[in-house]
Amino acid sequence: MEQSKMASPKSAPKDAQVMAQILKDMGITEYEPRVINQMLEFAYRYVTTILEDAKIYSSHAKKSSVDADDVRLAIQCRTDQSFTSPPPRDFLLDIARQKNQTPLPLIKPYSGPRLPPDRYCLTAPNYRLKSLQKKVSSSAGRITVPRLSVGAVSSRPSTPTLGTPSAQTVAVSTKVGTPVSLTGQRFTVQIPSSQTTVKSATPTTPTVQNVLINPSLIGSKNILITTNMISQNAASEANPLKRKHEDDDDYDNL
Amino acid sequence: MAALPEEPAEVVVKPDPDGGVPPQPQPPPAPPPAAPPTTAPAEGEAAAGAPGSGGEAAPPKPAPPGPAASPAPTDRQTLLAVLQFLRRNNLHESEDILRREARLLGEEVAAAALSPAGPGAQGTPGGVAAGASAAPGGAAVVAPPPGKVGGGVPVEDQPDVSAVLSAYKQQGDPALYEEYYSGLKHFIECALDCHRAELSQLFYPLFVHMYLELVYNQHENEAKSFFEKFHGDQECYYQDDLRVLSSLTKKEHMKGNETMLDFRTSKFVLRISRDSYQLLKRHLQEKQNNQIWNIVQEHLYIDIFDGMPRSKQQIDAMVGSLAGEAKREANKAKVFFGLLKEPEIEVPLDDEDEEGENEEGKPKKKKPKRESMGSKSKKQDPNAPPQTRIPLPELKDSDKLDKIMNMKEATKRVRLGPECLPSICFYTFLNAYQGLTAVDVTDDSSMIVGGFADSTVRVWSVTPKKLRSVKSAADLSLIDKESDDVLERIMDEKTASELKILYGHSGPVYGTSFSPDRNYLLSCSEDGTVRLWSLQTFTCLVGYKGHNYPVWDTQFSPYGYYFVSGGHDRVARLWATDHYQPLRIFAGHLADVTCTRFHPNSNYIATGSADRTVRLWDVLNGNCVRIFTGHKGPIHSLAFSPNGRFLATGATDGRVLLWDIGHGLMVGELKGHTDTVYALRFSRDGEILASGSMDNTVRLWDAVKVFEDLETDDFTTATGHINLPENSQDLLLGTYMTKSTPVIHLHFTRRNLLLASGAYSPQ
Repeated sequence: MEQSKMASPKSAPKDAQVMAQILKDMGITEYEPRVINQMLEFAYRYVTTILEDAKIYSSHAKKSSVDADDVRLAIQCRTDQSFTSPPPRDFLLDIARQKNQTPLPLIKPYSGPRLPPDRYCLTAPNYRLKSLQKKVSSSAGRITVPRLSVGAVSSRPSTPTLGTPSAQTVAVSTKVGTPVSLTGQRFTVQIPSSQTTVKSATPTTPTVQNVLINPSLIGSKNILITTNMISQNAASEANPLKRKHEDDDDYDNL
Repeated sequence: MAALPEEPAEVVVKPDPDGGVPPQPQPPPAPPPAAPPTTAPAEGEAAAGAPGSGGEAAPPKPAPPGPAASPAPTDRQTLLAVLQFLRRNNLHESEDILRREARLLGEEVAAAALSPAGPGAQGTPGGVAAGASAAPGGAAVVAPPPGKVGGGVPVEDQPDVSAVLSAYKQQGDPALYEEYYSGLKHFIECALDCHRAELSQLFYPLFVHMYLELVYNQHENEAKSFFEKFHGDQECYYQDDLRVLSSLTKKEHMKGNETMLDFRTSKFVLRISRDSYQLLKRHLQEKQNNQIWNIVQEHLYIDIFDGMPRSKQQIDAMVGSLAGEAKREANKAKVFFGLLKEPEIEVPLDDEDEEGENEEGKPKKKKPKRESMGSKSKKQDPNAPPQTRIPLPELKDSDKLDKIMNMKEATKRVRLGPECLPSICFYTFLNAYQGLTAVDVTDDSSMIVGGFADSTVRVWSVTPKKLRSVKSAADLSLIDKESDDVLERIMDEKTASELKILYGHSGPVYGTSFSPDRNYLLSCSEDGTVRLWSLQTFTCLVGYKGHNYPVWDTQFSPYGYYFVSGGHDRVARLWATDHYQPLRIFAGHLADVTCTRFHPNSNYIATGSADRTVRLWDVLNGNCVRIFTGHKGPIHSLAFSPNGRFLATGATDGRVLLWDIGHGLMVGELKGHTDTVYALRFSRDGEILASGSMDNTVRLWDAVKVFEDLETDDFTTATGHINLPENSQDLLLGTYMTKSTPVIHLHFTRRNLLLASGAYSPQ
């Protein structure tokens, strides 16, 4: 970008001129004109933050006025917060040495897409379907059987088919707990279980939701990509349902 | 080093290169009586002795380091120091006695008009009463050696940062720094021509270290005037560094600047011939110049070689990096630069146009043929790594099909050369508003990806075949899995489009890389993560977090599965797609790692950095096996030749340098570009090197000619000095201008058509 000033040098405010000089001293010759404004804003914000902090420190020390030490302390504290710098070289060399000692892991053949364990991937659904639960549970009451009937199959939307943007929403998931399946050969039904019942859960994918039966999928075969399907005692079903209601209410109230 | 008292009060000069450095720069106010005789075994070493303890310490120590006979120059130095100290503290009697004993001439002492003692100022003349008072105490005068407070081991590996900072103790009177420097300048200018070029290498590191010392010891005004006076003398290629330096005026500024810290912890390496070195040493060990001698010993590493001193031209080609040149040992490790053997693949029967391929001469019809891809010899290339040196993924069927396609295309490949230049097809990104930050093309040239400053990643198909994503799970269950075209059936026609946009990053995307099997795409961004995208579903699969700072470049390995990334935290990391943490960390650069590339055999990784060096790392154990210096600006592009022997690098200085990996030498320099070289690529058989730059041009260079006559005799291999002919003009085969479009990516198709890309940026 060629350099074009917004105001002629004579009428530019003094601090803009100073900023332009600083840029010149640092060897930056080509910049958009708005850069000066942005730099000035940053400088203003930074300085006022420091001075406010310094005022606080000086009043804490019961001094009558702010002096250089207060400012120095303010700068030091802010630096550690806002401007972090990369780790020092000796530290990096140290961790590098540790990391490089372990031999490269062998690669298992024929293992499909080589991805880290699911909890480190962004492949889990980050939503669950609410509306269906309300309808089903309100009509079925405590009867959970329709969901468990052998013919009924549910699947949670399996991993990468839908092109949803993939942010993990951990907050939602951990509330509800991991899904549970009654393992038929290919039928897995997921029932929201309360957290207490999943003590024996193997590594949980916190993001796995408890999407219940999607009626549209009933009757179709599904190939499920499931990782932690655990069979649980069915006795706990009633409670989870009840809790389900509560959860729903909570959500509604939010 | 004999009996050092635990509290070495003042430290004596150690002009001795064996670097016997005594710790403790601070002299205690009251020297403890502990001091046993510092025998100072005939060398004015760290004879730190408590000056005194009232001389009770028994015997009249023979201490004065230069006892008897003719004192060696180092001893004399110490002796003079002691004498000066005594004089300053008005201990004339002792001084006389000492002088008499040491048989020194008075003039020498008088002439040593040096700075007052630095931190010394021990006013404890006390103990020195006893004549010949042992312990050449209070040396601090001539040059208190910089206190190496613990851990200042000249091993790049283990510096202690706080120790480093304190390593800049006062060395002499700040006001005299200018004199020291001028003195050195004068000396070098008067030296013989043949030595002058080599000795001039000293200017820059000395200047920086002296300046930083003044700043650290809070002599702002002196620092400023020192800088003003001498910064113009430095070489032009150091100007950027000097500009950064000029903004460091206070001690506090130094603490936050990682690069400057690293500069001080690592020793600046200079390569000087033995003759020049002797000359220098002789000069500096004269009394006036001890200051500089100390800095030299402390902060510089002088790699001495036997042979002719180098000319200015030779030196200029190799210097420029932040840490000087590379030590010769750094480039001595064995590197397996050969290629891995290609696996043999069975070709199905019904390929009529394989007729010419059969290298084994078997009858062509009705028999499955073995295809060995190009290497007829069955014996192992001695320069190639063993197949199992690093674990590599096995070849899947789709990979084998790919290889067969590759071979078919290779037969139709155009042979390039000076008479047959490639055609260049340019893909211009329009309306990018200067937001295009990264581009990559698949190996079979079917897709192109752009990373943008608005944090999106956009994938285009450049063939008529559109991009499709896989069907949803529901639909997948409906298809017939046994049919031959199942791979087409799993694709969902409704999603066909030429462009797919991938959202996910939260910062500009600085690097992109396709996997060799075209299933995955990597992108790295300023938000510190590297993301793996699936090109079958066009969704993000994994985010690899490890760098907490902007990641500048990433690349898949030529065999897939591994990838490397490098960023602002000055390290490069090796990852595997199925590990959420890096497998290797390559630490050693002094500044950001700006460019990372795999060697064709996937066993080595080259990284280019803002500290103006290129390093080659071994994937197996993370060691740095090569350091290449010579660029004068941050490196932005790297390219390995297809045979794996050579590396081409391009930087902001517009030069393209060529390196022989096996020998660790620079073998070529291609001048021509006037702005940063952002793209480098060798043609498929390595005959042509194409370079693209910010100056809106693509240039083609004759790679065969560069590499054909290399003089690698014993001398060059031993010393690393090579005479580069100025033949850039002969090697340049063509310059092709674009219209206001900086070239940021180059790619040779399998048939040797050159694809270039960049974003149109009108001024």
